[in-house]
Amino acid sequence: MQENHHIIEIKYLTKYYKGLITPAIDNINLNIDQGEIFGLLGPNGAGKTTTISILCGLFGPTSGNVFIDGMQFQHSAEKIKSIIGVVPQEIALYPSLTAKENLRFFGHLYGLKGKHLKTRIDECLELFGLEKNANRRIKTFSGGMKRRINLIAGILHKPKIIYLDEPTVGVDVQSRNVILEHLRDLNKEGTTIIYTSHYMEEAENFCSRVAIIDKGNIITKGKPTELIDSKEEYTDLESIFLNITGRALRDE
Amino acid sequence: MLRLLSSIYKEFLILIRDRAGLAILFIMPLVLILIMTVIQDATFKTVKQVNISMILVNNDKDSLGEAISEGLYASEFFQIVEEIDGEKITKEKAEELVAQGKYKLGIIIPERATEAIRGNVNALINKSFKSFNIPGVKKRTKKSTIDITIYIDPVTSQSFKNMVMSSLKEFTSQLEIEMFFKNFSEAMAQLMPDQKPIKFESFGTINYKEIYASTTNDEILPNSVQHNVPAWTMFAMFFIVLPLAGNIIKERDDGSAFRLKTMPGSFITIMFSKIFVFLGVSFLQFILMLLVGVYIMPLLGLPQLEIGSHKIALGVMALASGLAATGYGVLIGTIATTHEQAATFGAVSIIIFAALGGIWVPAYVMPPALRIISQFSPLHWGLNGFYDIFLRGGDLTVVLSETAKLLTFFIIMLGLAIVYNKLNKTK
Repeated sequence: MQENHHIIEIKYLTKYYKGLITPAIDNINLNIDQGEIFGLLGPNGAGKTTTISILCGLFGPTSGNVFIDGMQFQHSAEKIKSIIGVVPQEIALYPSLTAKENLRFFGHLYGLKGKHLKTRIDECLELFGLEKNANRRIKTFSGGMKRRINLIAGILHKPKIIYLDEPTVGVDVQSRNVILEHLRDLNKEGTTIIYTSHYMEEAENFCSRVAIIDKGNIITKGKPTELIDSKEEYTDLESIFLNITGRALRDE
Repeated sequence: MLRLLSSIYKEFLILIRDRAGLAILFIMPLVLILIMTVIQDATFKTVKQVNISMILVNNDKDSLGEAISEGLYASEFFQIVEEIDGEKITKEKAEELVAQGKYKLGIIIPERATEAIRGNVNALINKSFKSFNIPGVKKRTKKSTIDITIYIDPVTSQSFKNMVMSSLKEFTSQLEIEMFFKNFSEAMAQLMPDQKPIKFESFGTINYKEIYASTTNDEILPNSVQHNVPAWTMFAMFFIVLPLAGNIIKERDDGSAFRLKTMPGSFITIMFSKIFVFLGVSFLQFILMLLVGVYIMPLLGLPQLEIGSHKIALGVMALASGLAATGYGVLIGTIATTHEQAATFGAVSIIIFAALGGIWVPAYVMPPALRIISQFSPLHWGLNGFYDIFLRGGDLTVVLSETAKLLTFFIIMLGLAIVYNKLNKTK
C-alpha cells in the first residue's frame, strides 16, 4: 500500500504576537495528507486564523516549521503561492469591477493568460451558475453570488491546496449547496482542502478529518465518525466541540 | 510583466469608474488654482487697480493738507471719502467708521499742521541766518510737532499700511523740502538783492530701471499667473496623496490586499501599478492646470500663462513632482491604518510642506531656521524647478538638481513603504 503524501507538515509551530505573553498557537504538530478535506475547528480566538495565515505565508511563525508540498516559505514563497488558493472570509473582490474583470485580474496574477484563462473563467462561472452575471459589477451582486465569485477567485488556477475560511458564512442554503458540492468535486480531482467553520454539522458532513483547536493547542483530531464513536456521550461533532471547548462565551 | 500590466489595468478601471472621485481629482485642483490666482493677483497688481476706500479728514486747510489731499486723489490708489450724506466726517466719526470695518484707513490731518511745518522751517532758517538779522524772516525758534492720526482697520494688511505710510511720509517730506527751499531762497534773496529767488524744482537725476534678470534671452515678465500657476499646481499635484493612500487602505479594508498577499507577485508590483496610474493622473492634472493658465485665466482678466520654450524640462519636472507625490502617497497608505489617519495626516503634512516650500510666503523671507528646514520640502524643490522654467527661462540642465531631489524623495518614500510592509509581515 502506498504511503500517504503529507502535503502540509506543521512541526512545533508556535506564534507569539508582539506585546502578548500568551502564544496564539503553541507548539502545534500536524500533518495533512494530499486529497484530504481537513477541518480546522475551534471557538473564536482559538488560533485557527493564525494557523491559516502562517500556512498562506502572510507572516512567519515565532518558532517551528511549515512544509507545503515539501517547500518552505523562507526559500520558495513564490512557488508555494502558485500552488495554493485562498478563499478568505471577507469578500476579497473589487466591487467596481465586473465578475469577469475580477477573475481575469486574479488569473493574471496566478500567471494564467490568453485563451486558457478565458476558458477557465467561463468554465468556473458556468459551474457556479454565474455565467449570465459575468459582466455585472460585483457591487450589484447578492451575498451568495459574491461568495461564489470569492471562491472562484481562489480556485481559478486549479491549486493543489485550497484554504477556505468560513466559505459559507452568511449565504443561503442554495448557494451553500452549490459551493460545497463543487468543493467536493475539486477534492475528487485531488485538491487538498483546509477548511475552517463554525458550522459543526457542515464540517461533520464535509470534512474527511478535523482538528479541534483551542487556546493555541490542538485538543483532538481525527475522522468525524471516529471522534463521535470515541465516547458514548458524543452524538455529533457539535457535542464533542462543546464538551472539549466548554460552553462559556468566547470573545475574538 | 503580465502581473504589472494587469494590475495597472485594474487600477485604471477602478479609477475611471469612480466618477465622483475623478471629478474631485480633476476639477478641485483647477478650481484651486483659479481661485488662488485670482486672489493672489491683487497683490501683484498696483494698488491703483484695487482702489481701496479711505477716509480723509483735512482740518489743516493749508499747504500740507492740500498736498496730502491732492497726492491721495492724484494717485488714484484710493477712493477718498471726506463727506457722508453731505456732512463732513469728523475725527470721531472717522474712528468709528474704521472700527466698524467700513473703511480700511482714516487719515486725520490736524488744524495748523502746515503752520507747524512752516514754523519749524523758519526756525531752522533763523538758526542758519542768525548773524544776518534778515528783516523778513520771523524770529521764531521753538520747534513744533504735529500728529497726523491714522486709524487702521485691524484686518488691513501690513504691506498696504506700509505703502500708505510711505506715501504720506513722502508727501510731508516733499512739502518740508519745498518750504525750506522757498524760505531759504527768499532769505538768500534778501541778503543778495541782485539774486532773484529760485523756484524749487525736482531734478529727476536718478531714474530707476527695472530689469528682470534671466539666464536666457526669453523675456518672461513676472505676474500673478507666472507666480501662482506653478505654485498652486505643485500644491494641487501633491494632493494626489489622499486618493492614492485611500485606494491602498480601501484595498486593505475590503480584504483584496489579503488575497493579493497570498498570491504570487510582490508588494512592489502592486504598488508600481498604483504609482503608474496615479502618476498619469497627476501629469494630466498638470497639463489641465497649464491649459487653464493659458486659455481660461485670460478670460477672467488675468495675464496669460507663458509656458516658455523648454517644454521637455517642464515635462520632466512634472513627472518628478508627480513621482514624489505618489511615493509619499504610497508611504502614507502603507502606514496609516484608517482613512481618517491618512486624510488628516496627509492633508496637514502637505500644507506644512507647502508652507515650508514657499507656496504662501517666499522661503527667503522666512526666519533663518525655517529657511534651512524649507530646503527639505519636496514642494520647495518642485516650486524652485517650476520657477526656474516659468520665471527664469531655465532649461533641463537648470532643473536637474531639483529633479534629482524629487526622484530621491520618491525612492526614499517607496523604500520606507517596502521596509514597513516587510516589518509588518514579521509582526
